[in-house]
Amino acid sequence: MSQTLAEKFYFLMKLGRELELRAKEEYLKGNISGFLHLDIGQEAVSVGAVVGFGKGDLFCPYREHVLALARGMDPKLIIAELFGKYTGVSKGKGGSMHLYEPKLDFYGGNAIVGAHLSHAVGAAYARKLRNEKAGVLVTFGDGATNAGSFFEAVNLAVVWKVPVLFLCINNYYAIGTRIDRVSAFKDTYLKVKDYMPAVQVDGMDVFAVYEAVIEAKKYLEEYGKPYYIEAITYRFEGHSMADKGDYRSPRELEMFKKKDPIENLKKVALEKGWLTQEQVNLMDSKIAQIVEESVEFALSSPEPPPEELYRDIYCGSVCEDIGV
Amino acid sequence: MLYREALNLALDHAMESDPSVVILGEDVGFYGGNYKVTDGLYAKYGESRVIDTPIAENSIVGTAIGMAMVGLRPVAEIMTANFAMLAMDQIVNNMAKLRYMSGGKISLPMVVRMPQGVAKQLAAQHSQSLEHMFASVPGIYVFCASDSITAYHGLLSAIRFDDPVIFLEHVALYAWDFPFEYLKNFDPFSARIVKEGKDVTVVSYLKSLHDTLKACEQLEKEGISCEVIDLVSLRPIDFETIYNSVKKTKRLVVVHEAPKSLGLGAEISARISEELFYYLDAPPLRVCGEEVPIPYNRNLELMSIPTPEKIYRAILDWGKQNGL
Amino acid sequence: MDYEVLMPQFSDTMERGKIVKWLKREGEYVEKGETIAEIEAEKAIMELQSFRSGILKKILHGENEEVKVGKVIAIIEITDKPVQTKETPPKEEPKKMPEEKPKETFVKEERKELKEVKKSMAPGFASPYAKVLAKELDLDISEFQKMGKIPSPAHAKDIEKFLTERYFTPRALEIIKDYQIDPKDVISYFGERKVNEDMLITYIENNEIPKKISVSFTQKTLIENLTKSIQNPQYRITDKINASFIPYIEGITYTHWFIKIIGDSMMYFDRLRAKLKGDSYLISPNANVGVAVGIGEELYNVVIKRVNKKTLKEISEELQTLRQKAQESRLSPEDIKGATLTISNLGMFGIMQFDAILPFEQACIVAIGAIDENKTFYATFTFDHRIVNGLTGALFVKHVKERFTDKAYLKLLSKGAK
Repeated sequence: MSQTLAEKFYFLMKLGRELELRAKEEYLKGNISGFLHLDIGQEAVSVGAVVGFGKGDLFCPYREHVLALARGMDPKLIIAELFGKYTGVSKGKGGSMHLYEPKLDFYGGNAIVGAHLSHAVGAAYARKLRNEKAGVLVTFGDGATNAGSFFEAVNLAVVWKVPVLFLCINNYYAIGTRIDRVSAFKDTYLKVKDYMPAVQVDGMDVFAVYEAVIEAKKYLEEYGKPYYIEAITYRFEGHSMADKGDYRSPRELEMFKKKDPIENLKKVALEKGWLTQEQVNLMDSKIAQIVEESVEFALSSPEPPPEELYRDIYCGSVCEDIGV
Repeated sequence: MLYREALNLALDHAMESDPSVVILGEDVGFYGGNYKVTDGLYAKYGESRVIDTPIAENSIVGTAIGMAMVGLRPVAEIMTANFAMLAMDQIVNNMAKLRYMSGGKISLPMVVRMPQGVAKQLAAQHSQSLEHMFASVPGIYVFCASDSITAYHGLLSAIRFDDPVIFLEHVALYAWDFPFEYLKNFDPFSARIVKEGKDVTVVSYLKSLHDTLKACEQLEKEGISCEVIDLVSLRPIDFETIYNSVKKTKRLVVVHEAPKSLGLGAEISARISEELFYYLDAPPLRVCGEEVPIPYNRNLELMSIPTPEKIYRAILDWGKQNGL
Repeated sequence: MDYEVLMPQFSDTMERGKIVKWLKREGEYVEKGETIAEIEAEKAIMELQSFRSGILKKILHGENEEVKVGKVIAIIEITDKPVQTKETPPKEEPKKMPEEKPKETFVKEERKELKEVKKSMAPGFASPYAKVLAKELDLDISEFQKMGKIPSPAHAKDIEKFLTERYFTPRALEIIKDYQIDPKDVISYFGERKVNEDMLITYIENNEIPKKISVSFTQKTLIENLTKSIQNPQYRITDKINASFIPYIEGITYTHWFIKIIGDSMMYFDRLRAKLKGDSYLISPNANVGVAVGIGEELYNVVIKRVNKKTLKEISEELQTLRQKAQESRLSPEDIKGATLTISNLGMFGIMQFDAILPFEQACIVAIGAIDENKTFYATFTFDHRIVNGLTGALFVKHVKERFTDKAYLKLLSKGAK
């Protein structure tokens, strides 16, 4: 079990890392523009949670590349979207912050902090109404837990008794402002512990995240009620490409870099014999190939045609079976 | 002087001369502001006057209102106008109404600053121009800064007013270097004639003003002489200056980035038609944003807003069609 | 396998960056992710990391150079670390350089032929303003539109064009505009005849029509200031000054000598360098002398700053520049402010003696008359009594007068004239 899981985790996390490093490079070259938020350092949370949650709707904020990958989105479509190409998952109209794929139950990609929290609660309500049991996973940063919409969503989830897993990716910083400067609690799970089961896990350990999510998922399915996990992690890069991240001490950064989730997973997996060096090398070269292919795909893809500007504003169709 | 430096200077001078001026917003303090507008002020005035807030826009404006009610002069920064939508309740229902509802007993000497508009590929949730939303609300003033001179003097006057002011900046202008000088008699309610001309009056503001000026330079070569007006104040609008110009040129063009429908161009054209109908030698022309959310892809993005080329083309064609 | 390191685009608004420092030297091995240079963009220093491991083969732009985003600044030869295995590095296609787009240029589209898009409507349509214009001229637009003489819709220009052709010669129409005459009056004066230039001039003479010239902005300010100034208490001192010791030097006129001598004299009298502001006198540390310069019908008081520190030659050059600027109407506010004393030399036109109006906020103006056959001239000093009292005024005039005959001083000045 651990063997196949370790392989899966390593592949997704490393793919996420390499894809984002390449995205960073392409941004600096001018092939990608706008806001590019990298998940580097936080891959264990994104991958562990999405894999652990399995089926169900997924709502994310703007730092969602790795979450999308873990959900099964084709890296080609992600990179093409970052390049603003027509072949991108949102036809080049959304960009890095706005990846959506309802076929994968992946609902974005929201650039307004906290806005998607209530979307998740609404979606869970709708699923419940239709007797669909899979539940909803919503991820958000520590910054969002100070927004009014967070408290509104949490309250509603309890009142409506809907199966939402609130997963806080706590990396201590809302852009450049450290959590303790603006939040009453440094540990965000304390904010909701009287509303629902709320736990804290080490977000640098993919297995820890995975297991906590499995536990939560069981609870969701059994009781149909909300659950809260806070994963403590760290982003190694700035908030976005325009941010140097120099408001953090080099010591702090070094400390977390020592806990690099990918390196640690590799080390543990090799030690325990879940993976061999050969397997790792094989995956690494496969990943390098996927990254290269994705960039080539994006580079050779067409720009959206001009008429695309006016498309997708309204769907223009009418529901026929409403029976009025 | 860079646009953002002029804003910083205005804040600095206001805080230096009046201890009741305080700044609050996301990342404004320790981090120095996401567009570096408040850079250095935290170090100079301390955390009690440069206040880092959580991501809670409605409460940023709400608490600023409370501060202003009892005598401070808060300057609230909203990271972008897009996020100000979260604060619309405080802005529209409270900031704009408290004085009136209290029979003039309460005054709110406060400013809410925010950038808006298209920078480069920030996609639909980060690129909107929303000035018409604020400018349609009685009870607040809406100023905008098109260059470093209006940035400095406009912001300083806004802070010194005893009434609430929405102060709009353009996100693409922060790094622009403009000539700067201290003006003795700056009046934020007066529109500025930035270029004199005799054939067409072109009204604009924020970044569109610079695109307009570029277009007019080319139109000059075609023998069309444009008088270009920078509105400076969007509520109230200095119609006197526009009327005087149109009386001379007999023709009106309005250029802005926001969509044409129900934008400021609609208001200005309507006023001109009402007041100066018999002076008009052509129907008013509006060169505005398309009726679409702003797309991520650069080509589509540029299609969605007026560019110097489009403004030039539109005025030239319209002139030819209407006897110029 | 070479990898091109480009000037990165750290932010959306960044167009160029400055290389502050190279942290690696040519020939050095660079690990992927290592910082290789510091780049300054938009006043912030950013670190440039390498995306490939290899040897920094060539640095193409040195420190302190500014480079456009997307340009190649260095080349890395992709290799494994020298001591390590011989595994071949992953194959890699050469990256396409992002095409350089000229950012600030104005891209003009192909001009569409516009004839077809020109609006054409049935007779009877005109812009509101064209209708007002036609009504004023008693012109039935739709009648002429039916005849095809005025297009529909009609605009102001069409009416004007029609009028020219029908009632006025082109030159006559220009005069009508110049004199702001109502064409309707001319038409009714001459009946239905076509009016040419000569007819119009006769009309203007017979009807005593004045030519209107609007007052320029600078002139308006001047008028306002003179009016304000005349309300302050003033007095005048006239004296005869001996100019026979002033040597002839090519390129230096009497005006230059006057500026220098009077400017130097001002350094001995604080009040001549003073402005009255509220309850205090603001004494300038230098002698800033205004010079009245007439350009056409306009008067400019250009200011030569720190006359006390300048040579005759510098003064002459500066005055020439300022005069040039005035002629081209590009004087900056700096060029016309700061003087406490102004010199007006109408003597150069042969005027023997006159007095001048004190410029607003200045302490003194010196009106200089022509130099007569005895090499003497009259100078009238007008003082603001609030700043310079009678005694100081008299002493100042005396001082100036003595300086004109101080041979050692004049000799010293001559040295600075070449």
